[in-house]
Amino acid sequence: MTLAILQHAFLAEIAADDALPPSSAGMAIYRNAYRGRLSDALATGFERTRRWVGEEAFEQAAAHYILTHPPHRWTLDLFGEAFPGLLGTLFADDPEVAELAWLEWQLQQAFAALDAPVLTATDLAEASLSEEDWARLRFIPAPGFAARQVDCDVVTLWPLLQDEAASSAPARLPESGWLIVWRQDFSPHYRLLDPAEGAALVALAGGASFGEVAARVGADGLQQFGAWFAGWLAEGLFSAMELT
Amino acid sequence: MTGTIPPFSGFGLGLRKEHHEAFLTAQQPVDFVEVISENFMACGGRPLATLEAVRERYPVILHGVSLSLGADQQPDRAYLAELKTLARRIDPLWVSDHLCWTGLGGHNSHDLLPVPYTEEALARCIRNLTIAQDVLERPLLIENPSSYVSFPGSTLSEWQFLAELSAATGCYLLLDVNNIYVSSVNHGFDPLDFLRGIPTDRVRQIHLAGHSHGPEGMLIDTHDALVPDPVWQLYASAVERLGPVATMIERDDQIPPLADLLAELAEARGLSERVPA
Repeated sequence: MTLAILQHAFLAEIAADDALPPSSAGMAIYRNAYRGRLSDALATGFERTRRWVGEEAFEQAAAHYILTHPPHRWTLDLFGEAFPGLLGTLFADDPEVAELAWLEWQLQQAFAALDAPVLTATDLAEASLSEEDWARLRFIPAPGFAARQVDCDVVTLWPLLQDEAASSAPARLPESGWLIVWRQDFSPHYRLLDPAEGAALVALAGGASFGEVAARVGADGLQQFGAWFAGWLAEGLFSAMELT
Repeated sequence: MTGTIPPFSGFGLGLRKEHHEAFLTAQQPVDFVEVISENFMACGGRPLATLEAVRERYPVILHGVSLSLGADQQPDRAYLAELKTLARRIDPLWVSDHLCWTGLGGHNSHDLLPVPYTEEALARCIRNLTIAQDVLERPLLIENPSSYVSFPGSTLSEWQFLAELSAATGCYLLLDVNNIYVSSVNHGFDPLDFLRGIPTDRVRQIHLAGHSHGPEGMLIDTHDALVPDPVWQLYASAVERLGPVATMIERDDQIPPLADLLAELAEARGLSERVPA
């Protein structure tokens, strides 16, 4: 048996479900270790989501994820990256589950995201930009920046789950908002934005120029856009600017 | 790849996050600390800042778990690049990983899987370790893992395999004395044969740890308990053969208060001093 055949068979056996019993006590140890390590990674990575859905439901979802999403990165820290998406499918009638899991995942990603400087209002003032420059200006988001649309008030639910399970479901938002996550200094932050502010920020953080976003907002909204932008700078939402 | 790692003797601990604050607020009685490389690769924020602050106070060893030296495929170049970046930043005493494979074809088990001790596997390990050492521009330390299965096709003992690997690549060895003991029980060999069979001049570090009992009389390398008597006895035999060598307590789970680990480390220090040179 070649090394390649041996290793493919070994991996298949430890990752198989219980319909295929392990071939020896030793292989059972490897299978248990494989499942245990991945299960622990999800349980610690999604601690508050676990509290929200309950231990049994969480473990069923985790077992399904382990079978259907074998880890493929060199770091175990990224194993759970598709878990919020799977929860969205498994808990289709409870959208807060996937939204909560997304928030939990992104906060952890932001915590350890690569370092970058913070772009400040002073940096912009010192750049002496012309009106044409401003129109072409693009911004690089802060470490760990992520955004998604949410339908539930998970920002109210989040702190309630710090130590124990919460009892009542979060309120549905009157209209979909934007939940953002980023890191400032060493601390991950999150904030719920109304649809208009969220759309503008997501466009700017996604690579649209300042002029393009201003055009989308329209003349009537320019003053509001300016106020949002000043707030984003104060929150440290950008790490750099580019003139392209 | 050329390069040597001069001998370094001392006593250290595997640094776990539960003890980060204690190591940063007071000077602890250790000669070095060892961290898991992957916990600090491709990251920033508080984890990296903490490691850099620790590095200002203590020599640091980078101990990896994802090189996958024994896989039937070449090492992940992106992984090696991230490890090199971290090593340049931290300037470690040395960089280590395991005689194992962790995955194949895009499926990573995140476990230290056993290598068959065959000429084919040895050739893969030599090729992969040579690539890794060339990219990292330094010789590595390779550790013996615990194992729970053996392969009928093996033609070498684990110690012969390690000796051949070291001779061919110039790598050094990290002896996990607990793992030697666990594998000796699981596979029925004399752990002293292991100690007699490895090239003593290539050993630069020893790990000490505990284990647990599994099915069918097997031992499991859980690294979650006190160093047990048989491992202490084997450690004494190792020190007798090797002389002074960097030794550390490696606890990966059920992390106790730091004082407990320091007490275990003091025991290792005392035992090492009592062993005749």
